Amino acid sequence: MINEKKYYLDTFRVTDGQLEELIAESLRNGGSFADLYFENTTCTDLLLKDGEVNVGGFNVDFGVGIRVLNGEKTGYAYSESTDMASMLAAARAASAISDGSAGKVGADREDEASAPKYRGKPNPAADRYPMKDDWRTCEAALFVPYLAKIDSAIRQKDSRIIKVIAALSSQVTDVLMFNSLGEMKYDTRPLGSISVSVIFSQDGKTENKSVSRSFRSGAEMLTDSLLDEVVNLAVSGIDERFAAKRPKGGQMPVVMGAGASGILLHEAMGHAFEADFNRKGQSIFSDRMGQKVCRSGISIVDDGTIRGNRGAINFDDEGVPGQYTYMVEDGVLTSYLHDRISAGYYGVKPTGNGRRESFRYHPIPRMRATYMEGGDCSKEDIIASVDKGIYVDQFSNGQVKIGEGDFTFYVKSGYLIEKGRLTMPVKDINIIGNGPQALADIEMVGNDPTIDDCTWTCGKEQSVPVSCGIPTVLVKSLTVGGE
Amino acid sequence: MKEYILTPEEMDFTRRCRELALRKGVQKIRVTANKSTMDLIGTLNGEIDKVTHCMDRSISICVFVDGRYGSFATNRFDEEELDSFLDKAISTTRMLAEDGFRDLPDPSRTAKDAKTGLELELFDDRYDTVTPQERLRMALDASIFGKEDGGDRWTLVSEEAEYSDSVFDTYLIDSQGLECRHIETSFEYGVEITVEDSEGDKYSGYWWDGTPLLKDLSIMECCPKALERAVAQMAPKGHRGGRFNMVIDSEVASKVVSPVLKALNAYSLQQNNSFMMDTLGKKVFPEGLSIIDCCRNKGETGSRYFDSEGVVSVQRPVIQNGEVMMYFVNTYMSGKMAMAPTIEEPIRPKVMPYPQAGLKKDDILKLCGSGIYVTEFNGGNSNSSTGDFSYGIEGFAFKNGKITHPVREMVVTGNFLTLWSHLLACGDDARLCMSKLIPTLAFSDVDFSS
Repeated sequence: MINEKKYYLDTFRVTDGQLEELIAESLRNGGSFADLYFENTTCTDLLLKDGEVNVGGFNVDFGVGIRVLNGEKTGYAYSESTDMASMLAAARAASAISDGSAGKVGADREDEASAPKYRGKPNPAADRYPMKDDWRTCEAALFVPYLAKIDSAIRQKDSRIIKVIAALSSQVTDVLMFNSLGEMKYDTRPLGSISVSVIFSQDGKTENKSVSRSFRSGAEMLTDSLLDEVVNLAVSGIDERFAAKRPKGGQMPVVMGAGASGILLHEAMGHAFEADFNRKGQSIFSDRMGQKVCRSGISIVDDGTIRGNRGAINFDDEGVPGQYTYMVEDGVLTSYLHDRISAGYYGVKPTGNGRRESFRYHPIPRMRATYMEGGDCSKEDIIASVDKGIYVDQFSNGQVKIGEGDFTFYVKSGYLIEKGRLTMPVKDINIIGNGPQALADIEMVGNDPTIDDCTWTCGKEQSVPVSCGIPTVLVKSLTVGGE
Repeated sequence: MKEYILTPEEMDFTRRCRELALRKGVQKIRVTANKSTMDLIGTLNGEIDKVTHCMDRSISICVFVDGRYGSFATNRFDEEELDSFLDKAISTTRMLAEDGFRDLPDPSRTAKDAKTGLELELFDDRYDTVTPQERLRMALDASIFGKEDGGDRWTLVSEEAEYSDSVFDTYLIDSQGLECRHIETSFEYGVEITVEDSEGDKYSGYWWDGTPLLKDLSIMECCPKALERAVAQMAPKGHRGGRFNMVIDSEVASKVVSPVLKALNAYSLQQNNSFMMDTLGKKVFPEGLSIIDCCRNKGETGSRYFDSEGVVSVQRPVIQNGEVMMYFVNTYMSGKMAMAPTIEEPIRPKVMPYPQAGLKKDDILKLCGSGIYVTEFNGGNSNSSTGDFSYGIEGFAFKNGKITHPVREMVVTGNFLTLWSHLLACGDDARLCMSKLIPTLAFSDVDFSS
C-alpha cells in the first residue's frame, strides 16, 4: 500500500528539511553516498492450542537506520527515536566510516551523472500489495473465530488427530527512505501468515504435519477458500507418512516436485548468485558470469513483482524499484543479485535486491521470489523416464556452503520411483549434492511451474520474507542418504 | 551517567508502566526492560569494511487480565505512547479465551539475589574505555590476509571478520514485588576465511571467540585457526557407508544434546511432541551421561540468577549417571500439567566428562581408534516426537587415532536414545564462550551412509 508522503512524514515526525540536514551531517566527513531508512512496524500474533485462542500479543518497532557508504565500505547506526538530537548522533556515528579514524578515505561522492535515477514519486496505481483491511485497525476478536474454525474443521477430518496448533501472524510496516541523491521513496508493507501444525497418533506412533500460507495482503486474505486450502493440506498425505520408510541410499536420479522443492533452488543456487558473495570471491560462481551453467532452455528468475506474493516489493530497502531479474537465461549465468554497493562494484544497475530485516540492519543482496521458469515436459513423462530413483515433493532444513556449493536437504515427504512409477512413500532421508553440479545435471524441466506460498524466511545474517518455486525437474544424479 | 545501560529514568519508566497497567485494570503484570549497546568493526581482506553502532531498548509486558493472558512489546519509551500501548494490550487480552493456569510465579520461587545486575561479575569496566581507535587496531591486527602463503596448494581469496563489543542490561519486575537485574558485557571476534586450491575449488573455515572480559579475548588465534580449518578440508574423498565410531567436535556437539534438552521441556511433553515422555526419575541414558545446569558460575558467560519469569536459577543435575532428574516446567505448564514447577529451560547446561576428567579431542580420537570425526552438521532434521534424526555431516575419517582425510557427502542417521546408549566418551574441553558447555563427544556403532 502506498499512502501520501505526508502520512509518512507525520508517522516519523520529520520534515523535508530535517531529512536534508541528516544527510548533510552523515556526509560531513566525506563518503560517496548516504541514506535514511525510517521504519514503523507492528506485528501481531494469535495462537490457538488445546482448542482455544488463549495466547496473543503484539510488538511495536520504530526507528531510523542511517547508512554512509565510502566506496564499498559501510558505516551504519540507528536510532529508536526520531527526535533530531538522537538522529544526528546516529548520523555522526555512521559517518565514522569516512572519518580518518575508521580507515581509508577517498571514494568520490556518487553524483547525479553516474548514479542510476529513481527520482519518481511512488505510484499507488503500481502498488503490488494494496491493503483493504489494515491489520493494525482490525481487532483480535475478528480473527479468533477464524482460527477456531480451522481447528474444528481439521479435527473433523481425521480421528487420529491428537493436537492442533494454529497461529495467525500479521505485520504492517511503514517505510520512508531518503538518500543523498535526493530520492525519496515510501511504502506500507503488509504481511499475513497462517500456520498450522497437527499431530496424529496411530498404533502408538506419532507423526506431525505442518502447513502454512503467507501473503503480502491485509486481513482480507482470510477467506473461506484459504481456510479450506489450509485444512485440506493439514490432513493430506498422512497415511503415506505413517506408511513411509527409509529407503536404501546411494547415487540416483531425483525428481523434484513442483512448488515447495524450489527451496533447493533458493539455497543451493540462489545464494551463490547473490553479488556480495561474488564480490568477495566467496561464491563458487564468482568467476562464471556469462558462462553456461546448465542446459539451454533453463531460466532462473528472482522476482519482486508478483502481486501479493511474500517476496514482492514495490521498492527494495535502498529505494530501488522491485524488478524481475534473470539470473540464468537459457542456461547462461547473466546476472547476480545486486544492492547498490555490488552494482557499483560491477558497474551495473542495482537489481532491487538490497533488503534488510529492519532499520537495525544495513541492506545486503537478498532474494525475493526465486523460481525456475517452466519447460516443456509433463510431470508424468519426467517420472516415467526414471527407472529407479526418488521423487521429492517437500524438503526442509536445507543448508548450503556458499564457497564449496555443497548442500544437504532433508526430505520431508516423497516416494520411491521404480520403473517409472511412484511406489513406496519415503521419509527420514537426506539429499546431498553440489549446487553447480546439480544445476548442470538437470535433464528435464516440467511445464508446471509453481510458486509455493508457505512462510519462507531467508536467514542470511538477517531474516527477510521470501518465496520460492520450481516446475517438476529431473536431476540425473544426487546422493540420497538412506539405509 | 552510563547511557549504554538502563538509566534511572528508564527504570522509573519501567516501574511506571507496571503501576499504570494496574490502574488500568490489569490484575497482575510482569514488565521487562532490555537495553543493549554494540559497536562493531568489520574487516574484509585486512581492510576496514564496516563500522556499526547500535543501541536498542525495549519494554515487554506480560499481562494477566480477568483470567486471560497476553504478551506485548514496544521500543517506544515515551509516556504518550505508553498509555495507548497499554490500552491496546489490555483490550487485546480481553478478547482472548480464559486460561486459568496463567499466573506469575509464586514469590517464594523468584530471585532475591540479583539486585544490581553486577553480582555475577559479568560486567567489564574496560567497556567504558575502549576507543574507536582501539577497536580498529584490534580488528586490523588480527588479520592475516596477505601474510599467509599456501604455495602452489592454495590461495587465500577472502578473509571476512568482525570485532564487536557490547553490553546488555535486563531489568525485570512484577506486580508481586519482584525486582531483578542482569548486566553483562561481551567482547567478540569472528572470522571466515575462504581458500581456493589449484583446481579452483573453494573451502571455507570459521573460528570465533567471545568473552565477558576483554582481557580474556583470544583474538589473535582466530584467523590462523579459521585458515587451518579451511585448508584441512581440501581434497575431500568419498567414504564408504557403514557403522563406525563417531567423534563430534565440541563446536557442533550441541546438535545431539539440544534435542534431548528440548524433549525434557514441559511444553513438548504436554503437546505429546517429545521422545522423553514418562522418563522422569528413570535411567534412560548410560551411566556415563551426566548433565548439570551450571547456571550460577561467576564470571562465566551465560550464567544467570533468574529466568524470564524471574524464577531463581539453581545449580542442579538435569541427568545424573543416566537418570533423568528433572523436566523444565515453568509456572504455566506447572498448572496445566499438575507438576511441580522447576525452571523454564536449562540456563547453562554442562555435559560432564566421561570416563575420566581431562580428555581432549586428540585423546578421544585415540580412545576410539578409527571412525568419522564430525566437524560440521550440514542440513538434515530430527523428529521431536520419535527422536529419529538424519543429518548431513562434514568432517574427517580417522584411523589409529589420527585423522587421515576429509570426507564429503555423508549422512548420519539414527535415534537419539539409541545414539546415547552407545556413548563412548565425553571430553573435558567445552569452550567457555559457548552458552551450552558441550565437549567433544564420542559414540560407537553409528550409521553413516554416503
